[in-house]
Amino acid sequence: MLKDLKRVRNIGISAHIDSGKTTLTERILFYTNRIHQIHEVKGKDGAGAVMDSMDLERERGITIASAATHCEWNKNDINIIDTPGHVDFTVEVERSLRVLDGVILVLCSVSGVQSQSITVDQQMKRYQVPCIAFVNKCDRSGANPYRVAKQLRDKLGHNSVLMQIPIGLEDKLKGVVDLISMQALYFEGDNGENIIAKEIPAELQDEAATKREEMIDAVSMYSDALTDAILEEKEITEAMIVDAVRRGTIAREMTPVFMGSAYKNTAVQPLLDAVLKFLPAPIDISNEAIDHNRNGESVTLTSDFDKPTVALAFKLEDGQYGQLTYIRVYQGGLKKGDTIINSRDGKKVKVGRLIRMHAAEMEDIEEIPAGHIGAMFGIDCASGDTFVSPGINYSMIAMHIMEPVISLSIIPVDNKSQINMSKALNRFTKEDPTFRTYVDKETNETIIQGMGELHLEVYVERMKREYKAEVQTGQPRVAYRETITQKAEFNYTHKKQTGGSGQYGRVSGFMEPCEEEFEFVNKVTGGRIPTNYIPACEKGFRGCMDKGPKLEFPVTGVRVTLVDGAYHAVDSSDMAFQSAARGGFLEGYQKAKPVIHEPIMKVVIETPNEFQGSCMGLINQRRGIILGSQEEGVMSVIESQVPLSEMFGFSTILRSATQGKAQFTMEFSSYKQVPQSVAESIMKAKEEDKKKK
Amino acid sequence: MLRKDLIQKSPVVQILGSEYLGQGKFGAVVSRAGVGKTQFLVQIAISLLLEGKKIIHISLYDPIDKINVRYKEGYTNLIDSIGYIDPQKAARLWDDIAPCKFGITCHENTFSPKNIRDYLVSLKKNSLEMPAMIVVDGLDFDRDCSVVLDRLSELGSEFSLAIWFSMKSHREQPFTDKGFPVQLDRVQGRFDKAVYLQPKEDKIEVVILKDGIKVNERHLIEPATMMLA
Repeated sequence: MLKDLKRVRNIGISAHIDSGKTTLTERILFYTNRIHQIHEVKGKDGAGAVMDSMDLERERGITIASAATHCEWNKNDINIIDTPGHVDFTVEVERSLRVLDGVILVLCSVSGVQSQSITVDQQMKRYQVPCIAFVNKCDRSGANPYRVAKQLRDKLGHNSVLMQIPIGLEDKLKGVVDLISMQALYFEGDNGENIIAKEIPAELQDEAATKREEMIDAVSMYSDALTDAILEEKEITEAMIVDAVRRGTIAREMTPVFMGSAYKNTAVQPLLDAVLKFLPAPIDISNEAIDHNRNGESVTLTSDFDKPTVALAFKLEDGQYGQLTYIRVYQGGLKKGDTIINSRDGKKVKVGRLIRMHAAEMEDIEEIPAGHIGAMFGIDCASGDTFVSPGINYSMIAMHIMEPVISLSIIPVDNKSQINMSKALNRFTKEDPTFRTYVDKETNETIIQGMGELHLEVYVERMKREYKAEVQTGQPRVAYRETITQKAEFNYTHKKQTGGSGQYGRVSGFMEPCEEEFEFVNKVTGGRIPTNYIPACEKGFRGCMDKGPKLEFPVTGVRVTLVDGAYHAVDSSDMAFQSAARGGFLEGYQKAKPVIHEPIMKVVIETPNEFQGSCMGLINQRRGIILGSQEEGVMSVIESQVPLSEMFGFSTILRSATQGKAQFTMEFSSYKQVPQSVAESIMKAKEEDKKKK
Repeated sequence: MLRKDLIQKSPVVQILGSEYLGQGKFGAVVSRAGVGKTQFLVQIAISLLLEGKKIIHISLYDPIDKINVRYKEGYTNLIDSIGYIDPQKAARLWDDIAPCKFGITCHENTFSPKNIRDYLVSLKKNSLEMPAMIVVDGLDFDRDCSVVLDRLSELGSEFSLAIWFSMKSHREQPFTDKGFPVQLDRVQGRFDKAVYLQPKEDKIEVVILKDGIKVNERHLIEPATMMLA
């Protein structure tokens, strides 16, 4: 692995579903000689793309797990992570962005900035990741890269600057004009591997000159040398422009826009050049960790090979040789035989086999130096763990993890499946923090929770394929919650003083709605409840939050203020006060007008204009609120908010209503109160469930 | 209470009264570019939203985000006009009324009343609350709009809707003998109500061109807030 970090790039490829991320990655691997034959995502040869290594990915033509791969371009190391486009797998995107230094934001030249592009953009903002944009599919009918660049400005607020213009569009796409070198680039050979630079065609010369002027004008603010050259009318060199674009991009103040067609092998190589020229090397990015030995002060990490090692495990996979842990080293380096410490639990581990991944294939390496991404075998850890050299106690700042919104009961069909299912669940929950599992105490059923129907469907399928665990699934269930809507007082005495050792405790106070999940405020004065019983009271109240008294859904948004109480010198105990708090909670809760909240999803439908009305109708039938509908070319984009409980099976219904021409994305938006009529039916269903049990 | 106060303060209620257009009838806000047609239409729509009704806002040039900003601004101006209000109360009311507005953005050449009809039919089929009004902002009345107006008129009658349009006039074109801007004159028979906005010193003058006995009434409004001066 290269130790000159100026020649290393850790990049991701992110975009909306079907924008061609995986196809682009496949071309990059081909041009960098990592693969010698191109397979399409859903190609006729049935091989599927190299990066979609899971059978399921190849079958469905979607990327589920981020695949990490490595390639070399012009003697530079590029580590690439190809991320899923589907929102249900958004944690994969979060995870990748956490460890990447730059991103190629792939946009479809026909559909432009789509809903998932917006989500990815928010994630990039969260982790301050610079990006360059690639307008893909310029060969498709209706392609308009200029419109996409404008949408980048209007919809995402990017300062998008065109670095190329197309030579022809749609089926006449021939190549691109590079506005820096002012050359026309054509891509010849069976796979576009021969780049032919020619003079710009006469009919494009004026346009190219105007666009170059616009580009230089836009990027001049990031370089004094360039500004001076413009003002003094000196020669503007390529190096000046490149330097200015690089500065602007790394500062996240501009987004250079490139274009082409990965599928038609057009203009992928210039994009690779752009990755090296404009996206940051590990030394250009500042990364921070928390020092637990110094009260959580933040420490800036440097890509120094001699400093103590700090590395982040960002993804786990179950390989044929045991657990494969993907790791990004931020400082120091990992060598075979090194001893490192998992800062979460303080356990010492010895570094065994180190590898560099190339989708499903792997290459053994001796070390992973700072600034690189690699993987190690045989280390038991969880995703998000930080590994450090002995002597320091740093941890990297945690990733943003969303709460699951949907659950499903699964029942193994036989004993063997039961054992395999446990193994699979153990693995999946370690791999994916948004996938959770628990056993329902009442029904004894195993419940899996996740971010959407597809998310859970994929895991059930993986259980069958990878672990031979045959399971039957129940109906998907929505993660409802309970909360209170008004302030209510409680005054409860727990008293059991008949025979044996007694129990006595009185709690009095009030509960009210709040923004936090749960807050406990102690305002007891004068020792009415001795201080040593206060934690027991808090525990008692907190214990009630797991299962609400109304419908046994988890309770959120409650602040309990304990004002007064009483104790008995002999009969009071922790247990007695816990029981008193539980009684107090139940008493107050009924008076505080509890309501049920349900997850509301942001649903974005993209449909041909002629089906706009029927799609809006579908939303209305589902208690949805249409926020707006916007025409974009031949398509309409309908944005709405719909309760998750109404969205089960929506993809089939949408397909049949639009002759399969519309698609939709769905992601969690917020929790909102369930209307009374729906609340009643939920209560009814819950009662029937109880009767069955 | 807040709803009632805001309705009373609404400039459009004060100018046009609270009785709205009859079913299937048209209304127009006419002015030259940049005077405040859209913002006035937004105030008309907000007064209906405050009455608990639903509206559809179709814009032929503004993106959805901009439509939303216009409504938020219009609501804030109205709130500010009645002095101090508990911000939480104001925010809650906005949360209540904002989802009752549904914005559609489309291009003029692809604007199709058929899509709107499909949507309304689906609402009716599912016994959901129907909108009371449609705002059509940006239709070019310099061209022949009779086909679109016919379709919209049918829609209005079928679903008991009032439809308000913005209508752009031109500085250099004088009013016709009937006292209407040229664009309105061509189609005035279809319209039940029409107001004309024109700058007057540092205010905007609202002249009622069509509305029964109110014709020729004049009111001054603030250009920044569209509230009565």
